[in-house]
Amino acid sequence: MSKHGGVQYSKIAEIKGPLVIVDDVENAAFDELVEIQTKDGEKRLGKVLEVGNGKAIVQVFEGTTGLSVSGTKAKFVGKVMEMPVSEEVLGRVFDGLGRPKDGLPDPIADKFLDINGEPMNPEQREYPRDFIQTGVSVIDGMLTLVRGQKLPIFSGSGMSHNILAAQIARQAAVVGTSDEFAVVFAAIGVQYSEAEYFRRSLEESGALKRSVLFLNLADDPAIERIITPRVALTVAEYLAYDLGMHVLVILTDMTNYAEALREISAAREEVPGRKGYPGYLYTDLSTIYERAGRLRGKKGSVTQMPILSMPSDDITHPIPDLTGYITEGQIVLGRDLFRQGVYPPVNILMSLSRIMKDGIGEGRTRADHQEISNQNYDAYSRAQEVRALAGIVGKAGLTGVDLKYLGFGDEFEKNFLSQAIDENRTIEETLSLLWKAVSLLPKNELTKVKDKYIEQHYKER
Amino acid sequence: MTLDSKLETTIDKILTQTTTELLTTLEKTFDECKESLSKSSRSLEQEYDRILDEGKKESEKLEKQIIGSSELEARNKQLLLTAESVDKVFEKAIEKIQNIKKNENYPKLISTLIDESTKALGTQEIIVLTNSKDKDVVKSVISKFPKAELSSETITCIGGVEVRSKDGTMTFNNTIDSRLERLKPLIRKDIATKFGIGE
Repeated sequence: MSKHGGVQYSKIAEIKGPLVIVDDVENAAFDELVEIQTKDGEKRLGKVLEVGNGKAIVQVFEGTTGLSVSGTKAKFVGKVMEMPVSEEVLGRVFDGLGRPKDGLPDPIADKFLDINGEPMNPEQREYPRDFIQTGVSVIDGMLTLVRGQKLPIFSGSGMSHNILAAQIARQAAVVGTSDEFAVVFAAIGVQYSEAEYFRRSLEESGALKRSVLFLNLADDPAIERIITPRVALTVAEYLAYDLGMHVLVILTDMTNYAEALREISAAREEVPGRKGYPGYLYTDLSTIYERAGRLRGKKGSVTQMPILSMPSDDITHPIPDLTGYITEGQIVLGRDLFRQGVYPPVNILMSLSRIMKDGIGEGRTRADHQEISNQNYDAYSRAQEVRALAGIVGKAGLTGVDLKYLGFGDEFEKNFLSQAIDENRTIEETLSLLWKAVSLLPKNELTKVKDKYIEQHYKER
Repeated sequence: MTLDSKLETTIDKILTQTTTELLTTLEKTFDECKESLSKSSRSLEQEYDRILDEGKKESEKLEKQIIGSSELEARNKQLLLTAESVDKVFEKAIEKIQNIKKNENYPKLISTLIDESTKALGTQEIIVLTNSKDKDVVKSVISKFPKAELSSETITCIGGVEVRSKDGTMTFNNTIDSRLERLKPLIRKDIATKFGIGE
């Protein structure tokens, strides 16, 4: 926050889409915050995208509807956009630009932080470790989320990703430690009903007091979506590195963020890349995803769970494709499972948590975790093959062992994968369900687990 | 052996056999009943444990919910009260500033404010606006800025100046009001700390 005011310019050259081009501007800086004042005195916020030749291109977050070239004024504030942060932000609901939306006053700020964050010194980064329990079996058991990790959920339109996101936000916790845990939830371009669902869901479960909500609604200006993940991550970084909390940041839906980026890019007449998205989509996404992590000497961590809906369920679409390059694995929701009524419809064969091994095992979850997870992967993959085979030759053509795998597949989906939306399973419960599922198979089929674990946990069914 | 005795022996044999069979069946059924009873008592115990577990989980959930929402409610009330008090402090401060007799240092302040504004605008060719009360003070210092003019127009403010470039394209608001407004978010914490909040 600056003590000095800014110069207000009244020579607007052009208004184009979400952009305002201001003429005869001196000393404007890239990313500088701009206050746009309409003829009627209404104030809107924006930021400088480009400066040069006496012109400044300003991106208006709240849209340019109602603005005219004459009468509009642009005040260059002399600082970048900042978010006021303090412990008081916990339990609060903000809009997509970080302004209170819950009828309460602005938080009394401890600090004002640049929403673009401080770049993390790679040398200071610590490798993500330790387990975050989401209470969702398929994630905890087979796609474990690790503190400091960035693990996206790839979904499709109409699927239950928002229900899953809210469930994770309600249930997520760090186990076996007294460290504080917080959830920062950023809803980007969601419908009013969804935003209300998120808010109510956290409020009713009592999880709101350790959460911060940023809600950018579908009818809010698209440009605001560029800011929402950044203010959310700024708050998360403060909670993690200043207050020593473990913070889980859920960003839903990043596809809406990328659409907003495309809108600005088109208005700036930039050369379009794949599907019209700007060529710098990868770089831009990385400025968000790379804000996850842990820092040496700091107690807290920032873990990210961005959610994105893949247009036409296409995993090769630029958004999931580029996201996949940056993040450490992905959780893919399957349309077939969703149609069968399985919740959460996670297609485990397409999903992966790349650093799961560093968050599980003895002292973190349980010694047999990795092996029983591998065994279930293996068995479920075989079950899928057997299902395909049964579709051709019929059940009569299957061997006894094949039939066992068929049974395993059903059991796995019905009892392990499926879970009620308010069911919070402990890691112990999750691991028992994994053992229960493989106990349908003959002992000699369990080739991925050590004999000592089989002796301990296998109960032939 | 007579026919009767033969018949008797056969009947005896059948009777013994039937009794043995009956006893075996009874024994077997008894065992089955016992086993079934022990199984049901096991599943009953499991069911009992499950219900207890679920009840415990549900009560923990409710406890969290009640504690969480009441803590939040209390905190929110405190936030509202703090904000109200901070605003009152600001109102009082503004009132005080308004009532302060502008002493010999005030022309110096105006001069500094104009100087700051010309630097921000990047030009000396300026028009200075102020409130009706401060017009004379501005008049007395404007000679220090040869290319500056005092506007006949007045603005509503506690004090200070608003400076425009002569071509009308740039404005710099250096009134006391706008400076206070800019400082407000920075001072709020200090004021709240005085109330013992966020120390």
